[in-house]
Amino acid sequence: MTEFQVTERAVIDAPVERVWEVVSRTDRYAEWVAGAIEVTDHHGIATVGRTYAERNRTLGPLRTDSVWTVVEIDPLRRRVDTGVGFAPLKDVTSIFEFQPVRSADGREATQMTYQVEYVIDLGPLGLALDWIQQPAMRANMRTSMANLSTLIRSETINARD
Amino acid sequence: MTSTHGTPAANGRWSREADVVVIGAGLAGLTAARELVAAGKSVAVLEARDRVGGRLLNHDLGDGRVTEIGGQFVGPTQNHILALAKEVGVATYQAAVPGERVYVHDGRARRFSGHTPPDLFALPDMGIALARIEQAAGKVPPAAPWQAPNARDLDGMTYETWLRKAEITGDAVDLINIFLNSAYGGEARDASALFSLWYVSTFGDETHPGTMERGTGTSGGAQDSRFVGGSQLVAIRMAEELDGRVHLSAPVRRISQDAGGVTVISDAGDWRADQVIVAVPPLLASRIVWDPLLPPQQDQLFQRLPFGTLMKCVAVYDTPFWRAEGLSGMGLLRGGSPIREMFDNSPPDGGPGVLMGFLGGKEWRKWAHRPAGERRGAVLRSFAQVVGERAFDTVDYVEQDWTAEQWTQGGPTSVAAPGVLTEYGEWMGRRFGRVHWAGSEFSPYWNGFMDGAVRSGEHAATELLHQS
Repeated sequence: MTEFQVTERAVIDAPVERVWEVVSRTDRYAEWVAGAIEVTDHHGIATVGRTYAERNRTLGPLRTDSVWTVVEIDPLRRRVDTGVGFAPLKDVTSIFEFQPVRSADGREATQMTYQVEYVIDLGPLGLALDWIQQPAMRANMRTSMANLSTLIRSETINARD
Repeated sequence: MTSTHGTPAANGRWSREADVVVIGAGLAGLTAARELVAAGKSVAVLEARDRVGGRLLNHDLGDGRVTEIGGQFVGPTQNHILALAKEVGVATYQAAVPGERVYVHDGRARRFSGHTPPDLFALPDMGIALARIEQAAGKVPPAAPWQAPNARDLDGMTYETWLRKAEITGDAVDLINIFLNSAYGGEARDASALFSLWYVSTFGDETHPGTMERGTGTSGGAQDSRFVGGSQLVAIRMAEELDGRVHLSAPVRRISQDAGGVTVISDAGDWRADQVIVAVPPLLASRIVWDPLLPPQQDQLFQRLPFGTLMKCVAVYDTPFWRAEGLSGMGLLRGGSPIREMFDNSPPDGGPGVLMGFLGGKEWRKWAHRPAGERRGAVLRSFAQVVGERAFDTVDYVEQDWTAEQWTQGGPTSVAAPGVLTEYGEWMGRRFGRVHWAGSEFSPYWNGFMDGAVRSGEHAATELLHQS
């Protein structure tokens, strides 16, 4: 059994309150999480102990159905969910952490840390498998955070609108 | 009788009289009224809304400029609307903007020129699909689709089933659905195969058989041109010509026929006429109180001709900035995007810039009930995939959800599910005593389009004049 931990960071061009608001919506993950094709079940605002379900892309044309359980909420700071349905990845945990920062031009922004922890049970084969899948996972995590930034920007009403 | 006049009725309500009452001041009703007035009839047009134009609606951009949030395109073989527009002094201009188009599939955007999206996996099947559609539509008589050689078989399945039976893949069906998303406000699975092939057969005129290419095309096709001043201007000009004969905010609630004529009860008073032309969407016609009742087959037909679900989403910018980057503003989007098809909808002088996208069918079902801000964001993200992130820098954003219009209740046209055309189709425009029917859904050519509306209005007027 091999445990893995993958971490990516990005700055979201929006105040942490707004980022938290979007991330807390379990019905909206298909709008910004790369690989989430659709949310098939949700409970609205994330609540500890409750679940939501997604249809996800995995490798190439392969698809999977996943179910996530919200296990920890520290408002505006940290959110932890555990997921099943990603075999051969097991014990999948997704962790979002947020920290208020300032952008170069002084605006409120948010540093987001996106971490995924998981186990692959296949010994050396598991290492090889992770060598294949981890770059794609990292790319998806970076894309997700870029998508989140774009989503928030797209919903910002211009002063002239 | 050449003018309308009024008398107090026995029930105390003011009752006015005319040779003909036309119900509905969209293109069909106004065209019929115009023809009848020209033939010397006294006419009253009763319109439920406080405006004319029906599914044609201009949005004011300021400085005398408009963009359309209803029907807007015209093209070759649509000679009836083009002739009418010319008569009322409304000019056309080429809708297509020079520049490349963008094809977005699963979030990846690719620029292309011409009409063929750069998708090597989908195109072979798409070619086969178009050839089959062309061949099958050619066998469907535009005036009587239920008489097509294999009408019952075709009307026993959805269009999607018919396409897939020919081993046409999901990719090609999805590309066809891009077109149907705006044309039906739905998908291939919503409509009967017979209805869909008939719909294609109407993309022409008496001497030019209908083709998919003409129906879906931009230059040289149904999206070839737009009206200077917006399409609603054609209706406004006709209403002006009718000089006081159009009565707004007058929804009709009841139509009673007797041996001497027809009584039309509206919120703006009662009318007595020799004959009536009903030019409202079929489903809404079925909701009027009829005395005597509509023939049950006709009533059933009208109940089975609901409009699709369609919203037009319009973003306004200082300038059409995408043009300077070599883009036409036209995009085709696949893979879950709320907008499947979009166009540069700027006024003819090129400023301000306007992007317009259709949000229809299952995308409408997914997004119509979402908070307006989230829907707006999703639409702008679709636009951004085609023209870049400046799509977020709007100066205005407008949505027109045609399902929320009480006197339309959907858009853009009626879509028949399996079984409707073969079981009830022959009742389509059949006169009911002193009542005649008009509306784009009753036309054998350009059914559901502006040209179909004008044709139907002309046909109803001719039928009525021959009968009187």
